[in-house]
Amino acid sequence: MDTLYFDWAATAPIDQEVLEGIRDVYVRLYGNPSSIHRAGREAEGLLCSSKARLSKLFGCKDDEIIFTSGGTESNNLVLFSLLLLKPGKKLILSGIEHASVYEPAKKLARFGFDVQFVSANRDGFVEPGKIEEALDDRTVMVALMLVNNETGAVQPVSEVADLIRTYSERHGRKIHFHTDAVQAFGKIPFNPVEMGVDSASFSAHKIGGPRGIGALFLRSGSIMEALYCGGGQEFGLRPGTENTPGIYGFVLAAERRLSMMDEELERAMELEACLIRELLSMEDVHIIPEIRGKIVEKNPKFSPYILSVSFPPVPGEVLVRSLDERGILVGTGSACSSKKKDRFRVFDSMMVPRDISSSSIRISTGHKTCKSEVVKLLENLKLLTGELREKITGKLR
Amino acid sequence: MDTLFLIKYGELALKGLNRPYFERLLGEDIRARLKGITHELILKWGRMYIRCNSSDAERVSNALSRTYGIVSFARAVQVPLDMNAIEEAAIDMGRSFLGEGRGKTFKVETRRLMKSFPLNSYEISSRLGQILIDNFSELRVDVHNPDWVLNVEVRESVYMYGPEIEAPGGLPLGSSGKGLLLLSGGIDSPVAGYLIGRRGLKLDALHFYTPPFTSEMALKKAERIACILSSYHPGLTLYTVPFTEVQLEIRNKAPEKLHTLLFRGCMMKVGDMIARDKGCNSLVTGESLGQVASQTVGSLHFTESLATLPVFRPLLGLNKDEIVSLARKIGTFSESILPYEDCCTLFTPEHPLTRPDVEKVRSSFELLNIEKLLEKAVVNMNSVSF
Repeated sequence: MDTLYFDWAATAPIDQEVLEGIRDVYVRLYGNPSSIHRAGREAEGLLCSSKARLSKLFGCKDDEIIFTSGGTESNNLVLFSLLLLKPGKKLILSGIEHASVYEPAKKLARFGFDVQFVSANRDGFVEPGKIEEALDDRTVMVALMLVNNETGAVQPVSEVADLIRTYSERHGRKIHFHTDAVQAFGKIPFNPVEMGVDSASFSAHKIGGPRGIGALFLRSGSIMEALYCGGGQEFGLRPGTENTPGIYGFVLAAERRLSMMDEELERAMELEACLIRELLSMEDVHIIPEIRGKIVEKNPKFSPYILSVSFPPVPGEVLVRSLDERGILVGTGSACSSKKKDRFRVFDSMMVPRDISSSSIRISTGHKTCKSEVVKLLENLKLLTGELREKITGKLR
Repeated sequence: MDTLFLIKYGELALKGLNRPYFERLLGEDIRARLKGITHELILKWGRMYIRCNSSDAERVSNALSRTYGIVSFARAVQVPLDMNAIEEAAIDMGRSFLGEGRGKTFKVETRRLMKSFPLNSYEISSRLGQILIDNFSELRVDVHNPDWVLNVEVRESVYMYGPEIEAPGGLPLGSSGKGLLLLSGGIDSPVAGYLIGRRGLKLDALHFYTPPFTSEMALKKAERIACILSSYHPGLTLYTVPFTEVQLEIRNKAPEKLHTLLFRGCMMKVGDMIARDKGCNSLVTGESLGQVASQTVGSLHFTESLATLPVFRPLLGLNKDEIVSLARKIGTFSESILPYEDCCTLFTPEHPLTRPDVEKVRSSFELLNIEKLLEKAVVNMNSVSF
């Protein structure tokens, strides 16, 4: 059975060329960059050149990049750096953050930090004004993701960066602004320096790179201390022998994505428009958020790579399994269970009714997704949702 | 064949004229569990022994530790009725217990059934105690709280053994016939299966699944739990019944607050049908009184009314923490908590009835007229034996 993959936001298949590049580094440049002999120097050379290549893509300085194991670690590194401050300080973040930001924040609250969550509106966007209202003289950090992993909504990160800068200047006190850019990097235009964030998280495996490698952009002058200690690698913020093959693979994948980003984005938008149009032509289909169905063509407020859609009353998980049986792989953030309390956290924050959120699936495309695959997905969705709805509502009996 | 296990049975020894019958059942059960392992089962002077190759000892020990009817067992040494031989064996055993790091305080306990043996129990114990101390200067006698006990039983031969391994006890499997366990994949039902086995009820199991509303993973999980349970109930057969049509029919035709109760009633009814067909004399469930809405007295009253066979609920009076600790003990807990749901939210009412009027639910059930779908579900049943 051919497999049609529509879960690129979960992970992307690795690019063949990237895989070969990684293999080459494992075989030829196996040294530890900290060693002073020739193998070490060669590895160190690769590390430096990789950092230089990546910083060029980010538009930042070499020493503003810290390699980590991926998005989760980058996010945790930033949030838990607060632990070295005194409790009682305030952290503001959106209610739609990924678990790797949301959960550390909840833990910080247990350690005595004042954590304030700002909800998204019904359209899936966090309003900058709400963050501004929450700022006060105890606030030390704000976190807002760039592209939401369930709705694809592109958050107003630049605006929030501006207002935080203005607030900081007015009060003469620095507030750290972090963005989780895992679903944005390599997919939509993004430059952390121009955007004005103090830190940003990246992951390689979402863009055709290997697992277990990612990066944190940390603006020069941002003071941060890490909780781990070791051999002082990555400016002491992420000690441990550098994953040079992974780093090299990350750079190769990032370069490939960015060099073709405009064409790929254009294509993704066409697929997105086709998907939304066709889905809306079906009966009782809900695009989440609803507004996304209204401006179909090239809406810059959403990443075209991520689309959540609901087919009530068919449970999302049931649809995912039925599609799976036909070789079509889509995602769901939810489980067919009444026990996991947090499963609709993002949709709840947007006031999506439970019957819509529990019937949602996430369709996420990637640079290799083609039109014929989308057509096949749509055909199967029509067929299966029809069959399942008949079963569930008993119309035919 | 150089490893000997001495087997102690509890309750079974209290049986009067029926004792040979229970002993025969236990023997048959042990033989079935040791299938494929060369062994010799010996019944002498009211005690059972297994002799096997040392290389198989671990497997035999594992099997015995899960055999109902056995209270405990131990690796033993058999020596002739001769004090020199007994002393030599005691020294060997003392050395090995010390080597295994079992501790430095000990006592000797002797039972003398062969009354013609010249030394009495007390004399044997004190003599062996003295010899052990003489041979191993670090050893010390502590009759109240010893690190280990050297047991000596003087029978037709002398049997000497150290620490005993615990087994489930109760009655031999099959002495109460065979029952059918309703196995959900949760924490409770395998524990119910383990407990009822202690009363001699051999089990097969029944699992309902709802494709595509429940996943293949949930079905596999039920199979893995049944497989673990089969180490206590060897030869257990798991019947799996697709229940999608039944669940959908109820969902679409019955009032929402009755859904769970009616599903469970149908499961009980199908269980009853299969049990009768497969020669089972009873149904066993993991229900614990009041644990959830469908396990209140009224709910149990209704579901039970759909069964013709007796329904046993060994967990009825147990608290959840007690059930969990038993689940850990029998090794099903980590499997049971895997997050594959055995029922979809689609079939779980927001506010299920907790105090149902049995007659009213009965008439809702009759109104469904669901017999045909239940029969169809049984026809589509699969089975796997362990």
